[in-house]
Amino acid sequence: MPADAVPSSAGGPPAVELRGITKRFPGVVANHDVFLSVSGGTIHAIVGENGAGKSTLMKILYGMQRPDDGEIFIGGSPITIHSPQQAIRAGIGMVHQHFMLADNFTVLENVVLGAEDEAGIGAGARKKIQQLSSQYGLGVDPDELMEDLGVGDRQRVEILKVLYRGAKIVILDEPTAVLVPQEVDELFGNLRELTREGLTVIFISHKLDEVLSVADAITVIRRGTTVATVDPKSVTARDLATLMVGSELPSPEARESTVTDIPVLTINGLTVSTPAGRALVDDVSFTIHKGEVVGIAGVEGNGQAELVEAIMGTRAARGSVQLDGNAIGGWGTRQRREAGVGYIPEDRQRHGLLLDAPLWENRMLGHQTEPPNAKGPLLDIAGARRDTEQIVAQYDVRTPSIDVTAGALSGGNQQKLIVGREMSHIPKVLIAAHPTRGVDVGAQAAIWEHIREARRAGMGVLLISADLDELIGLSDSLKVIYRGRLVADADPDTVTPEELGLAMTGAAAGSSREESA
Amino acid sequence: MKRWDLRRVLPMIIAPIAALVLAALVSSAALLISGKDPLEAFSAMFDYAFGPNSGPDVTTEILNKATPYYLAALAVAIGFRMGLFNIGVDGQSRLGILAAGALGAASFLGVVPGPLRVVIMIIVAMAVGAAWAAVAALLKVYRGVSEVISTIMLNFIGGAIFAYLLTTERLGVKAVGGEIVSTPLLKSDSWIPGMSLFAGTANKMFGFAFVAIACGIAYWFLVGRTRFGFDLRATGLNPSAAVASGVSPKRMVIATMLLSGGVAGLVALPEVLGRDHAVTTSTPALGFTGIAIALLGRNNPVGIALAALLWAFLDVSNLPLDLLDIPKEIVTIMQGVTVLAVVVAYELAARVGRRQQQRSVGAATGEAAIVTLGIPAAIAAKLGVEAVSAPVEPPDSTAPTDPTVPGKHREEQS
Amino acid sequence: MAGAAIVALGMTACGDNGGGATPTATKKTVKVGLAYDIGGRGDKSFNDAAAAGLEKAKTDLNIEANELEAGATETEQDKYNRLKLLCQGGFNPVIAVGFVYAGVDPANGPVAKAAADCPNTKFAIIDSVVDKPNVASLVFAEEQGSYLVGAAAALKSTTGRIGFVGGCKVDLIAKFEAGYIAGAKAAKPDIKVDVNYLSTPADRCSGFNDPAKGKTAAEGLYDAGADVVYQAAGGSGVGVFQAAKAKGKKAIGVDSDQYNTVDPALKDVIITSMLKRVDTAVFDFVKSMGEDKFAAGVQVFDLKKEGVGYSTTGGFVDDIKTQLDDYKAKIIAGTITVPTKP
Repeated sequence: MPADAVPSSAGGPPAVELRGITKRFPGVVANHDVFLSVSGGTIHAIVGENGAGKSTLMKILYGMQRPDDGEIFIGGSPITIHSPQQAIRAGIGMVHQHFMLADNFTVLENVVLGAEDEAGIGAGARKKIQQLSSQYGLGVDPDELMEDLGVGDRQRVEILKVLYRGAKIVILDEPTAVLVPQEVDELFGNLRELTREGLTVIFISHKLDEVLSVADAITVIRRGTTVATVDPKSVTARDLATLMVGSELPSPEARESTVTDIPVLTINGLTVSTPAGRALVDDVSFTIHKGEVVGIAGVEGNGQAELVEAIMGTRAARGSVQLDGNAIGGWGTRQRREAGVGYIPEDRQRHGLLLDAPLWENRMLGHQTEPPNAKGPLLDIAGARRDTEQIVAQYDVRTPSIDVTAGALSGGNQQKLIVGREMSHIPKVLIAAHPTRGVDVGAQAAIWEHIREARRAGMGVLLISADLDELIGLSDSLKVIYRGRLVADADPDTVTPEELGLAMTGAAAGSSREESA
Repeated sequence: MKRWDLRRVLPMIIAPIAALVLAALVSSAALLISGKDPLEAFSAMFDYAFGPNSGPDVTTEILNKATPYYLAALAVAIGFRMGLFNIGVDGQSRLGILAAGALGAASFLGVVPGPLRVVIMIIVAMAVGAAWAAVAALLKVYRGVSEVISTIMLNFIGGAIFAYLLTTERLGVKAVGGEIVSTPLLKSDSWIPGMSLFAGTANKMFGFAFVAIACGIAYWFLVGRTRFGFDLRATGLNPSAAVASGVSPKRMVIATMLLSGGVAGLVALPEVLGRDHAVTTSTPALGFTGIAIALLGRNNPVGIALAALLWAFLDVSNLPLDLLDIPKEIVTIMQGVTVLAVVVAYELAARVGRRQQQRSVGAATGEAAIVTLGIPAAIAAKLGVEAVSAPVEPPDSTAPTDPTVPGKHREEQS
Repeated sequence: MAGAAIVALGMTACGDNGGGATPTATKKTVKVGLAYDIGGRGDKSFNDAAAAGLEKAKTDLNIEANELEAGATETEQDKYNRLKLLCQGGFNPVIAVGFVYAGVDPANGPVAKAAADCPNTKFAIIDSVVDKPNVASLVFAEEQGSYLVGAAAALKSTTGRIGFVGGCKVDLIAKFEAGYIAGAKAAKPDIKVDVNYLSTPADRCSGFNDPAKGKTAAEGLYDAGADVVYQAAGGSGVGVFQAAKAKGKKAIGVDSDQYNTVDPALKDVIITSMLKRVDTAVFDFVKSMGEDKFAAGVQVFDLKKEGVGYSTTGGFVDDIKTQLDDYKAKIIAGTITVPTKP
C-alpha cells in the first residue's frame, strides 16, 4: 500500500477540509456553517435526507456552485474552485447520479471525450485506460460499446473517466440508487480498491445500511448543516436515521393483515409489445384483493413502467384487466380513473404534475372531470381550491399558499400533494409506482401511513418500488418481475432483501421458466 | 392569501414593455447608423396615427387592421396553449373566406334574409377553415406527421386552390374595366355596418370587431373555465402528465386543430363583411402575423388584443416614413426585434417569477423547520457524537430557512 | 419633410429658378407624389420606366417629387391609404403606377376613393381607366407595339415557331399577346405561337416578380421548338433572357429598351423590345400639370403618339426595319387594326 501517495489519516493534513461553508439561495440557505474533514485514503460518507443539502455541498466542492462564505482546503492548502475544470485540476472528480455517457460510443471514446489532452485518443489512451482499469480492479474493456454494458459496468466507466482525468479525490453522488444489491457489493469492492491505492472517496447516500457497511467515517447533514461526524463501528442505522431527521424513525411494516378475498383488480395474460414484436410485459397475471398491497420487485427497466402504463390505459396492451368485475381493458385512461383507479406515477414531475401551474390546478389534474373539480363540462374552481386547502392541511404539504406553482415545492411536498389528491378520491385500487422515491424520511412515513390507512379501508394497492425495505414492509404479497415476466413470488414475512435482490437479477428465472415451459 | 401573486405577475407585465423598449432602441440604432433621426421617425408615426389631422381616420384604420390580426392570433393561440403549432392559419383563412364569400353572394341564397346570410357565411367560413385544419390534425394523429410541416404545406396547397377557384371561369367575377378578380359583390343587406368612433372622419370601425371581442371572451372562458380548457392547458404544460391524467392526446389534437382552424376561417370576415363586400385576391390571410402576435400577447386574450393593436399601429403608421426618406423597413425590424426580445424577456420573467415563488415557499416553510433543528440531547448523549457544526440552537427567524427548497425540482429533472 | 420644397415652374423670371424651367403662361407650383406597383423601383421594366419619366421631369422641369413603394402582401385599403396620404399631404398631382391601384372595381377602387377624398388634387393612373373628374387615365396601345415585335419575331424565326410569356393572366397582358400574334401572322401566316402565363390575379400576379418561373416557362417554349420568345412579364423577364442565353435562342424585351437595362451578358439575346413609354406618359402628364393643362379622362398612348414602339438597339432588326416601319405606318394610318383580345 503506497502510504506516501496521499496524506494519510494518521498524520498530515486532511485530504479535504471544509470550514464554515455557507451557500445562500434567494430566500433560503442551502448550506450553512458546514464543517467537514476527510482523511486521505478513506471512504467518507455524507448522509442526510433528500434536500438536506448534500448535493449542494458537493457541487460547491466540485466548483459547480460558489460558496458565499467559508474556506476549502485540499491537502492542507486553501483553494478556491470556480469551475469543474478547476476542481479537476485540483484532483477532485465527481461521478454523477445520472450517467453522462454516449451509448453509441465505445468505452474508450466515452472516457477520452473532453479529455483528449490527457493521452490523445488512440493507443496512448487505450493503454492508460487498461492500466487504470487493472490498477484499481475495475475490469473495464476500452473497446466495448457502451450500449452493451450493464448499469454496474457503466458506473465503473464513470469512475474510470474521473480517474483518467487524474482525480485523487472521487465524489460519488448516490451511486447505489440504480444498482441491485449484488452490484452494490461489487461497487463497494471497487471503492475499497481505490482507497487501498491511496485515493480518497466521498460517498453521498441516504441508504444507511450501505453507508455503515462501506464507510470509514460518516458525516450527517441535516437542514443544510453538518450535525455530526460518527464512526460507523459505534452507531446503528437507527441512530444515524435519528440524527438525520432529528426524531424517531418510522418503519414501513404492514402490521396486521387486512386482506380480503374480494378481488378488486384482476390482470390476466397482460402483454405489452414493442412495434418490433418484442414483449416488454409478457403474459402477466395477478389479482389484487380489497385491502391488499401487492408489491412488484424488480430491477428498473424490466417492464414495471410498461405494466403500470398498460393498467392505466396509456399504453396499448393485450390481455384482460378487470376492475371490480368490469372489464376495463378497452377503456381510456380517463374512464379508468373515473372508475376508481388512483395513480401515483413513477416520475411525479413528468407524469403527475404541471410544474408551472398553481397547486390547486395540480389538485385537479387527473380528476378534472370529477367533483369537487368540475360541474358538468365546467370547472368548479372554488370547489377545487377549497379541497386543495384541505389536502394541504391534511397531508402536511408545506406551502405558503395554494397559488404557488407546484415547481416551487420540494420533492417531498410535491409527492404529498399527489398522494393527497389521489387518496381524496377514494380509489378502489391505487397504482403506486415508487411512492416515496426522493422523498424525505418524514414525508415517507406519512405516505406509508396513508397507504396503510387506505388499505385498511379496503383499497387495493399495486406497489412498485426499488426500495426493497419498503416493498417487504408494506406488501401483503410480493412478485418479482424480470424481463417483463413475473418470475417468482415471495412472502414478505419471510423474505430478506438479499433473497429478493437475487431473484431480481433473474437467478430464479431459469427454474420458473422451465416450470412453465 | 392572494390569488394574484404580484411577485409572479409583475415580471410578466414588465417583460413585454422591456422588450418593446429594446426593440425601439434597436430600430433607433439602425436609423442612426443610416443617418436618420429616430425621433423624427417615431414622431411622424405618432403624428400620423394620433395627430389632429389624420388621427381620427388613421386610428380607426388601426382598429380595423387589428381586428383580423386579433382573430388570426387567437387561432394560433388556441393551438399554442396545448403545444400545437398551427402554422396553417393562412391557408385555413383563405379557403374559409373564399367559401363564405362565394356562398354569401350566391344567387340561390338570395331569398334568405341578409342577417341570416351573414350567419351562414360565418358558419361556412369556420367549417371550411376547420376542415382544412383537420387534414393536418388527422395526418398528425394517424400518420405522425408534424403539424408544423403539414400546415405549412397545406398553406401552399390552400393558396393554389384559392387561386384556382378565384378565376372568372369559376367563382370569380371582374368589374367593368377592372383587372382583378373577386367573388361577386355581397348584397347590401348582408353587410355589417361600421361604427363611427371619431368626429372628422368618414372611416368607421368594423362592426365585426364585436364578434372578435366575443371570440376573445369565448377563448378566455373555454381555456380557463371548462374541463376541455383544462385538458388543453395541461397538455400544453406537460403532455405526458396530461396523458396520465386521462387526456386522450389524439382527440385533443383533433379538437384543438378544428377549433384553431375554425377561428382562422373568421380572419378575413371583418373586411369582407364590413368594407370590401367581396373576397379579392388581396383579402388578408395573416397566418404568420398571427403567430407573432400570439407570441407577443402571451396567448392571453387581453395580451393578444394589446399586441394586435401594437402590430396594427406599426403596420399602418409606417406609411409616412417614405415621405421623410426613412426606410419603412425600420418597422419590420422593430416588429422582428419585439418578437425575439419578448420571447427572451418572458423566459427571464418566468425564471424570476419562479425564484420569487421558491423564495416565498422557503420563507414560509423555513421557520417551521428551524424549530426541529437541534439534535435531541438524549440521542447526542447516547452516541457521544462530536459536534462538528456551529451551535444548532434555533436562530432568530431572519436566519436560515428550509434548505430543501432552492432549485430543487430543477436538480431532480436532470 | 423632404418633399416640402416648393418649386416654381414659371415663365416670369424667377431669380432662384435657375434649373432650366420650361416657360409656361402662369406660375404654378408642382409637387408630385408617385405610388409604385408591387416590385417598385429596380424591376428593370415597368416601374423603372415610370421612375425614368419622373427623373426626367425632376431634371428638366425642376419639380419636387416623392415616391412611395407598395408592400408585397398589402390590401386595397393599404393602397388607398397611400394615395390618401399623398393627396392629403399636399401632393398634386398624384400618380398611381399600375392597374392594381384601380382595384377590384375601378369605379370604387383606391384611386377612385382617394380622388373623391381629395377633389382638388389631380390624379393619374397608368394602365387602367378610372372615370372621375380629377383622374387622368393613361393607357397604352400595347397591342400596336406588340404587333410590330410579333412581326419581327416571325421574320427572324427559322423554326416557324415563336413563344409568348405573360406575367399574369389579366386583360392588360392579353393585349400584348393579341397584338403579338396578329403581327406574327401578318408577317408569316403559317407561324405557330405558343403562349404561357406565369400567374393569375388570385396568386397576386406573382408572375410579374418571379425570374425563376419566367426562366422555366421560357425553357419550355424553347424546348418545344420556339426560337424567339416575347416576354410581357415585368421583373420575371430576366428569367426569359437567361433561358434564351442558355439555349442559344432569341428573346424580345418589353416596356423599356431592355437591351440597355439588362446585365451586359444577356444583351445579345434581345433582338428588340416593345417600347411602352411609361416614362413619356409620366413626363408629359407632369409637364401638363405645370402648364395647367390637366385633362381628365382617358389618354391613349399609341404608335401615333409614340407612346409605344419597338427598339433597334443592337442592330438585330436593321435588316427588316423597312418591313416593320411599313406595318407601323399602316397602323398609324388605320389600314391595319390590331386586335386587343387574342
